[in-house]
Amino acid sequence: MNRNRRFVSIARSAGALLCLCAALAQGQTPVQGQTPIQGKTPVQSEAPPAAAAPPADFKTLDQQVQGVKKDVIDLNKDLFILEENLLFPANTQVAVYLSMDVGTFFALDSVTIKIDNKEVANYLYTAREVDALLKGGVQRIYLGNQKIGKHELVAFFEGKGPHGLDYRRGASITFNKGIGAKYLELKITDRVAKHEPEFTIKDWE
Amino acid sequence: MFEGSPPARGRWRWAGLLACLALVALRADAASALLGKQAPDFALHGLDGQNRRLSEYRGRVVLINFWARWAGDSRVEMPVLDRLNTTYRRAGLVVLGVSIDDDERHAGEFAAAMHVGYPILLDSGETVGRDYSLQRLPMTVLVDRSGIVRFVRVGYRRGDQPAYLAAIRELLRE
Repeated sequence: MNRNRRFVSIARSAGALLCLCAALAQGQTPVQGQTPIQGKTPVQSEAPPAAAAPPADFKTLDQQVQGVKKDVIDLNKDLFILEENLLFPANTQVAVYLSMDVGTFFALDSVTIKIDNKEVANYLYTAREVDALLKGGVQRIYLGNQKIGKHELVAFFEGKGPHGLDYRRGASITFNKGIGAKYLELKITDRVAKHEPEFTIKDWE
Repeated sequence: MFEGSPPARGRWRWAGLLACLALVALRADAASALLGKQAPDFALHGLDGQNRRLSEYRGRVVLINFWARWAGDSRVEMPVLDRLNTTYRRAGLVVLGVSIDDDERHAGEFAAAMHVGYPILLDSGETVGRDYSLQRLPMTVLVDRSGIVRFVRVGYRRGDQPAYLAAIRELLRE
């Protein structure tokens, strides 16, 4: 697993470096009077007069740089997906997400996740992260590998309850890990009728 | 067996001394190995009830001070750090005190008695301390605006303040 991670990391670095070199090579125009390398003629020798040419040249160069930047971002995205596919193949992948709605009756402090009685994630939330969740953000709190078959996931939520008191609740689910990737969502919602928070786990088939 | 002749006893003394020196060198190495590397990220509970994550201070210079109430030098160092915090806070310095005391209440009482204005975080499990190769207290780490460890000082002596000042000013200028 470590070897895979190292390989992907090296591949990513190499890709970024390659793109950077390409960007430099494309953007480089020989300086006037400089000897051209391997018989290449300098660009400026055929260029139109200096007064009119620079804006168009700069525009082209800027477009090229933007293009290379986009390529780097796309390449990085592809490598990221490749890394995930290598480290967490679909037949063993389990991902757990966390979302929050309203949050009037519960101020989230931390979440602990156990799968088959083994702690796999423990996350402490800062005010900024809670704010992001309340604005509709979804956090991937766990990504790991589990064997095909039945598993039990238990999540513990800690924070401040309805009257500002310490509040700790748990929620559990038994899920069946099949051949494809498994996605679970921990949801914190307000149960207005009872004036208390509700913690549920949704199994995304 | 060890009650041998005087030259043999002398040899053992020298061996002991060398072992101690090697241990000191190893400790210094473990801490300075962090230099130039990405500071290990952490999220900890604060005494003020707020949780803080190091990576959220990216773009600012962060001084992390590991301390415990039983470490005598911490008493001397904390007022110095508080003055630095007051002076350079507006310039972009963030001071975080990380207590490795087991008892949260005692750590809180001690921090209150020291009248420090910077946040005190609790690392009673020493998980963060382990990430920072913490072996002696106090230990101070300076992290630059891009999250790289640039300064590590293990222990504290009264003459250390100018070194702190120089490092902080240099990082704030970057």
